[in-house]
Amino acid sequence: MSDAETPDSDTHSHADHADHEHGVSGPGYTTPAAMRTESGREQTAFVMGLRVGMDVDGPDFVGVVDVDPDSPTYAELIDTVEMPNKGDELHHFGWNACSSSCHAEGMARDHLIVPGQRSSRIHILDASDPRELSIEKVIEPEEVFEHDLSAPHTVHCVPGGKIVISMLGNSDGELPGGFLQLDQEDFSIDGHWETDLGEMEMNYDYWYQPRHNVMISSEWAAPKTYYPGFDLDDVEAGKYGDSIHIWNWETREHEATLTFGEEGLIPLEVRMSHNPEETQGYVGAALSSNVIRFFEEEGGWDWEVVIDLDSRDHPDWDMPVPPLITDLLVSLDDQYLFFANWLHGDVRMYDVSDSANPRLVDRVWAGGNFGDRQEVAGHEIHGAPQMLQLSRDGKRLYWTTSLFSSWDNQFYPEIGEHGSLMLKADVYPDEGRMELDEEFVVDFGDAPGGPARAHEIRWPGGDCTSDVWQ
Amino acid sequence: MLGQDGGGETHAVSLRWRDGREESLSVGPDETVVDAAGAAGVGLPYGCLYGACGTCTGKLLSGDVEHAAEPRALKPRHRDVGYVLLCLAEPRSACRIEVGARVQADLVPNPWK
Ligand code: FES
Repeated sequence: MSDAETPDSDTHSHADHADHEHGVSGPGYTTPAAMRTESGREQTAFVMGLRVGMDVDGPDFVGVVDVDPDSPTYAELIDTVEMPNKGDELHHFGWNACSSSCHAEGMARDHLIVPGQRSSRIHILDASDPRELSIEKVIEPEEVFEHDLSAPHTVHCVPGGKIVISMLGNSDGELPGGFLQLDQEDFSIDGHWETDLGEMEMNYDYWYQPRHNVMISSEWAAPKTYYPGFDLDDVEAGKYGDSIHIWNWETREHEATLTFGEEGLIPLEVRMSHNPEETQGYVGAALSSNVIRFFEEEGGWDWEVVIDLDSRDHPDWDMPVPPLITDLLVSLDDQYLFFANWLHGDVRMYDVSDSANPRLVDRVWAGGNFGDRQEVAGHEIHGAPQMLQLSRDGKRLYWTTSLFSSWDNQFYPEIGEHGSLMLKADVYPDEGRMELDEEFVVDFGDAPGGPARAHEIRWPGGDCTSDVWQ
Repeated sequence: MLGQDGGGETHAVSLRWRDGREESLSVGPDETVVDAAGAAGVGLPYGCLYGACGTCTGKLLSGDVEHAAEPRALKPRHRDVGYVLLCLAEPRSACRIEVGARVQADLVPNPWK
């Protein structure tokens, strides 16, 4: 199937590939700049909608949100594709193919891989028409457990006809987890991606740079530790991560561990520069609330804290509250870094043109425990900025406000009753600032079938957090 | 009538939500509360279905249940005060159980508050 026939212009046509230097058409863009400038404005968004941990007796869904301002259904949830089972906790998802397989002829970016964090079930959705999603295949939890893995998290397509999913637990929900590999053709399970786990004891997110033969993975905790909620006793007992791991991308062996200690507790999202020549990136340490830069120097990998945020006293709370950096992303031109402080309630924009010296340029407050603004367009904000997605041209930042069902229930219990929101800020990259769009709000409290939590966002046609360049 | 083929017996289980709603179930031998509720069309929260995630947490108000496998999501302090995982819980007597999504949130309070 070719992506030329897809009706939604979010998915670029083969014409974009007329100047493809390799003379081969495929599912992605030759360079991050090509994606940024040639792909057109996003018109629909896929957004995870969850019912886990709520008294809404229904399954999770993948929602389709209309983000085309010229459409009569702008800023509405225009479709929901419910999963066949309850209890999945859809969390992160990814494409069968991205720019890293753009040299692969005949391949199209037309299937979404949608794992259930709690159920360990993996759904394959046909997304060749972004407004007509359908479930094509379901990999049942038992098939995953056979490989002694559970809790699927980050999905990346990888060169060579494969899809790799980071898995946070073994089949009992305990450590160490690993990486599950699927086949891009029929979505069957190949087995583990890695040949050697080395010192890796915990897993979470990962990113790779094929040109430099490296993959970098981060650490959350064992599923049985983070699933039920966040307990400081578990932090004290060393049950949460504080390291990232360097892998040989070709031999799939663990090569080194960078341990951050107190400065890097709970390192979650890993984002490397989009420019495939670069050998550096950032990881957000949620609990320490630091952004750590990792980089290759003289053949080895090293790290440094480049952004260090302070906890804040809250009049009604006993202890100073950390910002809790939960998600971060880098714009396609590698100029701006955005991240969310889920406990405080702000989303920040840093200029990282000088990658080792990020400069705070702007921030927006919306919801949270410290934000002045607790309402947008008459909708009360439940939660705070969390999963982020930036438009390909870098001019619109969207986010949702739910983190994880049990953690929501602990810190923002109202999400469990009323659902959460999707919001947006307009970004002015030339001026280095952003502004909350007071008109744009998608209230997942009004989702068909009852309130839902909104989580990760993806664009048909690829985005800042799914595409990797060869 | 349930309970013909297993070793145990069928037990009456009454479920109560915090908003006052109540439901009654018959839970067969070697059947978990989540399975019996599903079969009866009563919606209970759940996630992993193997004892790791705690989404199905209920609080046993009276009666006895046994977990069919290790309830990994519960710490000793939770088990001591009657929290049970309904995806693994097999009743051994008539039971009254507090259920609903809000019970899970009791397990771990906000540590900063
Ligand atoms: S459903 Fe996960 S512990 Fe019962």
